[in-house]
Amino acid sequence: MTGPRDLNAQIESLVNRLRRRQVVGSWCVSIETAMLLRQVVSATRWNQVETLIKVVKEDVGRRLVMAQPRELAVGNIVCRVLRLIREKIRTFSFYGGSGTGTNTQSSMINLLGDGSPMGAKRASPLIISELQEMINELENTYVNIIDQAMEHIHSNEIIMTVGKSRTVEMFLKTAAKKRKFSVLVAETFPTYLGHEMALSLSEAGIDTTVISDSAIFAVMSRVNKVIMGTHAVLANGGLISVSGAQMVATAAKHHSKPVVVCTGLYKLSPLYPYDEDSFNDLVAPDPVFSFNEGDLIDKVTLLNPYYDYVSPELVSLFITNTGGHPPSYLYRLINENYDPDDTDI
Amino acid sequence: MPPPSKTSGKNLEAESILQAVVLADSFNERFRPITLDTPRCLLPLCNTPLIEYTLELLAVAGVQAVYLFCREHSETIKNYIKKSKWSRSYSPIKIITIVTPEARSVGDALRELDAKQLIDSDFILISGDVVSNIQLEKVLDAHRARKSVDSNAIMTMVVKEASPFHRTRSLGESPIFVLDTKTNECVHCESVELYPRKRRMTMDMEVFKKHADVQIRNDLIDCQIDICSVEVPALFTENFDYQDIRNDFVHGILTSDLLGKTIYCHLVKDVYAARVRNLHTYNAISKDVLSRWTYPIVPDSNLQEGDSYEFMRGHIYKEKDVSLSRSCSLGEKVLIGAGTEIAENVKITNSVIGRRVTIGPNVEIDGAYIWDDVKIKSNCSIFRSILANNVVLEENVIVKRGCLLSYDVVIGPNVTLEPYTKLTKHKKTSESDNEGEESNENKAYDSTLIGEHGQGYIWSDKVSDTDDDEFDTKNIQIAGLAHDISNISLTDSDSPPSVIYESSSDELSDSGESTTEEESLKEFFKEVSQTLERAFLDGHAVEIASLELNTLRMASNTTFHDLRVGVIPTILGQIDIENLLTSAEEILEQWGPLIGKLIHSRQDQIDTLYILQDHCAIKQHHAKLFAPTLKKLYLLDVLDEDAILEWNSSELADNDSSKSSIRKKVAPFVKWLEEAEVEDSDSDD
Repeated sequence: MTGPRDLNAQIESLVNRLRRRQVVGSWCVSIETAMLLRQVVSATRWNQVETLIKVVKEDVGRRLVMAQPRELAVGNIVCRVLRLIREKIRTFSFYGGSGTGTNTQSSMINLLGDGSPMGAKRASPLIISELQEMINELENTYVNIIDQAMEHIHSNEIIMTVGKSRTVEMFLKTAAKKRKFSVLVAETFPTYLGHEMALSLSEAGIDTTVISDSAIFAVMSRVNKVIMGTHAVLANGGLISVSGAQMVATAAKHHSKPVVVCTGLYKLSPLYPYDEDSFNDLVAPDPVFSFNEGDLIDKVTLLNPYYDYVSPELVSLFITNTGGHPPSYLYRLINENYDPDDTDI
Repeated sequence: MPPPSKTSGKNLEAESILQAVVLADSFNERFRPITLDTPRCLLPLCNTPLIEYTLELLAVAGVQAVYLFCREHSETIKNYIKKSKWSRSYSPIKIITIVTPEARSVGDALRELDAKQLIDSDFILISGDVVSNIQLEKVLDAHRARKSVDSNAIMTMVVKEASPFHRTRSLGESPIFVLDTKTNECVHCESVELYPRKRRMTMDMEVFKKHADVQIRNDLIDCQIDICSVEVPALFTENFDYQDIRNDFVHGILTSDLLGKTIYCHLVKDVYAARVRNLHTYNAISKDVLSRWTYPIVPDSNLQEGDSYEFMRGHIYKEKDVSLSRSCSLGEKVLIGAGTEIAENVKITNSVIGRRVTIGPNVEIDGAYIWDDVKIKSNCSIFRSILANNVVLEENVIVKRGCLLSYDVVIGPNVTLEPYTKLTKHKKTSESDNEGEESNENKAYDSTLIGEHGQGYIWSDKVSDTDDDEFDTKNIQIAGLAHDISNISLTDSDSPPSVIYESSSDELSDSGESTTEEESLKEFFKEVSQTLERAFLDGHAVEIASLELNTLRMASNTTFHDLRVGVIPTILGQIDIENLLTSAEEILEQWGPLIGKLIHSRQDQIDTLYILQDHCAIKQHHAKLFAPTLKKLYLLDVLDEDAILEWNSSELADNDSSKSSIRKKVAPFVKWLEEAEVEDSDSDD
């Protein structure tokens, strides 16, 4: 068993790694967060649900979210864990309680909280096993998404993608097992993630072409659909995606081509963007403009945004691990996955 | 080393914890008068103490033990560390503070380190004011890889590529590095001051023999991050006069033939690393942090606990609880700490504002660094200056560029501070010691300068060494806060600061060099003969004379050949012509071994013979001396028969009658040698 000191060290370590950008990418972040929260739940001693919720939400969750507000997946996972705890307690008090099923839910929770530490003892392992299930689900997100590949990619299609996304990569590779199609990859300056993506795809035997970012609009007329990944999906259906994605989506809109976004549900955030910058991250301007140009860097302002905001009007379809959904449907997914009390951590 | 033991050694290295040595003291006074109250490593850069940046860098690299060397304000540093997140029980880093009040330099600190025997593997030597996002693990791996190739590698210096006049490159303090192009081995390191302008750099010619391809670089930022092997502190102990790590240690190691150690540079390009050396770099690095060159070490990643910076469009960073009036305007690159209140019509650009600062209406701030709890009343203007904690500016104060207001200073109202004014609450002790009268006078503040309510004294940079001339004060000025690079270029208009200039001067000196070289050689011969005559007169031992000659040779950078050319005629000159044979016998008996000391190989012997031959051929009255000298030197084992035979068999220019006549004189001796050899080989058979 882990003592509280070990747990603190683990929390601190994840906070630091998030802050220092040592764990990056929504998926890694979610897994790490979920594992840590499982530890927290199993190590916390509680009699009242509020205590547990407070620990998860305020003591740990808030610290993790504050450590790296740009990684929205941290907040998503914390919200989901909270939802899970609340739900478990509710069902537990309905069926596992003393048969007073006519009471309202909230009073049930109170009943459990009020008097019986026994209830807490019995609920705790259930919550932990549910958490484990969630982690398993996270690990299998890709499988559920790529199973749908055949429905979306047809023979002899030309597909455009941007940046490097593991989901999209596996999605295309799965489709390539049975269908023959070609992929255009925008090189995605300044990270050139497109190069890596193209290399990986061509190694899998897919007919791949790298195009420069300036050629996106020109070739869009020949493209059948755009498939891309994303860093996060916001509550309105907008995307926080690799910089350059906005241009691709706009070009696709102009040519009336569908934009399909492959994403796990863990990337769906209950937060709304209030302006285009709100969840963006500006990284070092080095790749755009060399630091060696000493005389100039004093006189110009250099911005190197890592992400783009893609508004929901530009997205046609989300392919998630629970199936395909249009952007307008996301509000329901949010209601299903997150408790309204927890959106503001 | 055989492979099995090597792998076991590697395992050991991996097991031992990674150590770092942080020098929390800068051993200079660049930040005076502010550092009278706070140690430099705790000065806030973008509202975060400098040491946090360094410790963060080390934490990211996975360092487990940090030895923090403090000298001044050691208690303050200790308390800070004790309260910080680093000393929590679950902190991954263990910080051990070592107080060395008597240490005067980096060298002293490292000698202390060696005496304490704390280091047991490669360690990171870093100064406590480095800001960087470099991945030190990679540098460490590179260092280890180099060590496995070149077992003499003892140090890797991290340098960042920039440009010669880069704002972050501290002018006048960044050395020129000469690197081997392939391996990045540092073969020469030359410190450069801006004044006096260096026009020439001397390098050992050996360098070009060893390294086919070298580059001379004047565009590197020396980040003061070194990966050192265990030997380094020991080397400091052995060479107790080493003070500075660059000027003394690196220079000493590279120029020493005995140690045979090598030092490498690790060039970094797309990551950031720089050191706050002076106010100029403080300004530059603050700007770099605000423009996110140091990502992910930027204000909105909130290095310290409790920070709550958020990034907004236009490089504006704001903490929570900042109250901005409706009409104030924030320009680019502004950072504002929590609890700050900014009133109407305030304009702020390119500045860092600390916590709990109150800024009155109609204030204009540009390029200023305003630390915590400062109060600025209405209608003030501040340009490119530093206002330390608790400074108060009354109404209508104008602070012009380059000013430095230390802790608790009060200015105003209605005063204009001239550029580069430095004010402090501390009185200079040395001055008051010297002139008791003045200290009484100083008790009252100079109200014409700092206003009616003003509190504070003018601080003038005293130059610590008496022999520093005006050039050095100029250097200090450049290190100041608001000195533009353009200013500097203007001030030395007599020499355009371009590469073209350098190359043209090289061409010029090529033609000029040869004459000066001849002159210097003549000078050298003169000195040699003078040294020898002193030795003859005082009857020095051969060892002493040879030591003196060698020193002379090194000082004037000449070869052994030159030395022999100087020495042989002088010794021959001592021989009394009248009493030829006995005198030659005597003189050579005593001084012949000296010639022997200057001879190291067969080639040298033959060279000696030629010198002897040429000398005797030119100086007619010495012609007779040749045969006896040769014989005597042979008997003294200075010359051996093989060399003499080889010399004799070599061809002479046809028309050189005098030389051939000299050869004839030794013909019998040579013949005897030849016969002796034949006999020798016969008997061998």
